[in-house]
Amino acid sequence: MDPTYLQFWAKQNAFIMNVILPVSIGSCIILVGLAGLFVYTFRQQHYRLWHLGKEEDCSGQTLKRLKTFLAVVLGHVRFWREGTEGYPGAMHFLIFWGTLFVFLGKFIRLFSPLTGLTAPPRSIYLFASFISEVGGVIILVGAVMAVLRRFVVKPPRLDSKPDDHLKYVWVFVILLTGYLVKGYRLMLAGGTLPADSFMWAPISSAVSRFVLILPSEPLNELLVWHRVLIHAIPALAFFGYIVVSRSSLEHIYLSALNVFYRSLKPKGAVRPIPNFEEAETFGVTEVKEFTWKQLLDLEACTRCGRCQDNCPAHLTEKPLNPKKVIQDLKAHLLTQGGAIIPTNPQPTSEPSPLLGEVISEDTLWACTACLNCYEQCPVFISGYDKIIDLRRSSVLMESRFPGELREVFRAMERKGNPWGVEKAERADWAQPLGVKTLAENPKVDYLYFPGCFKGFDDRNKKVAKALVKILQRVGISFGVLGPEEGCCGDPARRTGNEYLYSMLVEKNLQTFERYHVKKILTTCPHCYNSLKHEYPQFGGNFEVIHQTEFLKTLLDQKKIPLHNVYPLTVTYHDSCYLGRYNQIYEPQREILRAIPGMTLKEMERSRDRSFCCGGGGGRMWMEEHLGKRINEMRVDQALALEPDVIATACPYCLTMLQDGLKARGKDDSVKVYDIAELVEKSMDEQPKNP
Amino acid sequence: MRPIAIVIEVLVLMGVIYCLFLAARLTILDVGFQSKYDRFLRWALGIVGAMISAFFVAHLTLFYPKLLP
Repeated sequence: MDPTYLQFWAKQNAFIMNVILPVSIGSCIILVGLAGLFVYTFRQQHYRLWHLGKEEDCSGQTLKRLKTFLAVVLGHVRFWREGTEGYPGAMHFLIFWGTLFVFLGKFIRLFSPLTGLTAPPRSIYLFASFISEVGGVIILVGAVMAVLRRFVVKPPRLDSKPDDHLKYVWVFVILLTGYLVKGYRLMLAGGTLPADSFMWAPISSAVSRFVLILPSEPLNELLVWHRVLIHAIPALAFFGYIVVSRSSLEHIYLSALNVFYRSLKPKGAVRPIPNFEEAETFGVTEVKEFTWKQLLDLEACTRCGRCQDNCPAHLTEKPLNPKKVIQDLKAHLLTQGGAIIPTNPQPTSEPSPLLGEVISEDTLWACTACLNCYEQCPVFISGYDKIIDLRRSSVLMESRFPGELREVFRAMERKGNPWGVEKAERADWAQPLGVKTLAENPKVDYLYFPGCFKGFDDRNKKVAKALVKILQRVGISFGVLGPEEGCCGDPARRTGNEYLYSMLVEKNLQTFERYHVKKILTTCPHCYNSLKHEYPQFGGNFEVIHQTEFLKTLLDQKKIPLHNVYPLTVTYHDSCYLGRYNQIYEPQREILRAIPGMTLKEMERSRDRSFCCGGGGGRMWMEEHLGKRINEMRVDQALALEPDVIATACPYCLTMLQDGLKARGKDDSVKVYDIAELVEKSMDEQPKNP
Repeated sequence: MRPIAIVIEVLVLMGVIYCLFLAARLTILDVGFQSKYDRFLRWALGIVGAMISAFFVAHLTLFYPKLLP
């Protein structure tokens, strides 16, 4: 018998196709209507707002974008994290995949009779029923986890709005009514269904045992249609709500879009100001001066709070909270943005200024540019690029910046270093070691670019000397620029002084060009990042290598004999500019493990979750008036492991950690060393106490 | 079982009404209705929601039992 002519209701002359076809056609019409509504509201509420922003090219590399999209959206690769992120990752994964299963099952059952693909009780239809049933259970498990977390555990990073409980109640109602509808169907059509149909709808079968049925068939048919309406109306309204409202459910499409259009440029490279010479405004003073992608970032944020859980400024009780920055900017965009759209009625009053009112100055200057907010965000939202843009506006348009920076800017401008020490003294440390400048011998393989810290800070000069001794011992051909070397400009750029930055870059580039520099070896991750990723924006074209990569290569080539044994417990502190900015995590650890006797212990916050030392983003030269000190908190994390040595590969970190140890009164028992120093000590002919 | 089933049905209906009316309020505010009218909206939707809920409760507790054997 043709299954499409199976009876839909027991004892009645209503056939499956007679019942399902109108439902299928009706659903088609409603879904087309919803799609149209989605396109309209998407354009009105989102697209027009983003296009208030400036241009940003996020095109190209479609395959790579698609891969990331699939990995992040379907695979949740950025949701599954070590530590505390397993629970929310699993929770979201269950809700996401459960929803896909439900939709898959629903779509097959709703539309397959239309296409003639299948009809009940054929196996595809039954499988579809089963997928929906299982999907619903998966959603319920994920949703219960989410409710427990949000309303019982209440982690501080989650702030709840009315919409947050609404979506859980709603989903629960939709799923429960869905099971009820099928339960009624199974109960009433029991005799006409295949014997194993209960196996394909296990939850609904269980529900069917408890449903209320009426004494006559027509009344029961009416009852089921009532139940269908009680399920279908909230379900369709839910789609409408997702499409029209500005609920957090917008993330279903906005976050996915943000993942697809994420920046594929190097993570740590700050965007240059286009047409800098001719530009009349710098940075962001009004919300429309963000790029369209930055505005999409604001809308894609779901307030999950991972950024704030990893922000060193927030964790040390400073006013900066990256989630709040994004949310405040988003609220500003939504309240002011509509009025900025030219076709909308124009406001009579001036929009409230971003700086000072939306984002406070204390918030703005608390950022260490550690990139942890971006790294931890599941959907690639960066708070840091917006802060740099706001700093640019503050510095270049309004000359407003912390007083300590005034001298730093002046020193960098006049002397080419943040301390204002005479340029001539920059290579004094190198003279006893016989290091030649490029002016003396330009025919070298590598330019060693030690950076300002190595040039002027006594503690860091020892690191530079250690590296030079290694290079000389191995026989590497290198030279330094000496007095001709200028600050790479990183502190100027991170504090928003793009004018000073570009000046320093131009100067250094001219020097590199004069000596035909092709390979640059750096010890400072800040210099490394700037030279490698940001100088090319100004025409720089050379290879840049950090000392850790270089030492690891020499170690692999067995050119460095590490023979002195140091039975020490060491913990490695990842520099943000080397780790998160440049994904260099392993060479340092492999070098430390190669030193005989050393035991490497990892801090809880390490690698991409590493905690900033507090010196990045220009904070090295600003006082830390508010909250606790970041470097002391980091030192506490290290001291919990009871190490003998804290190793690092960054002069900023070395200085900050050393200061932290002093503050904790541990500078005698625990030492901070750069990787290069430890290597040099281990390969030295005369063993020394590290 | 019957009283329990009725209680569940009432709860489901209340849930549906709550979701639809809260969503309506949030959406109205989202699409540009000024937040100063939120109080009015709460009252208006709350009253309508309560009336509909009362109707369903009455329907389920008075009308249904008449149909049952």
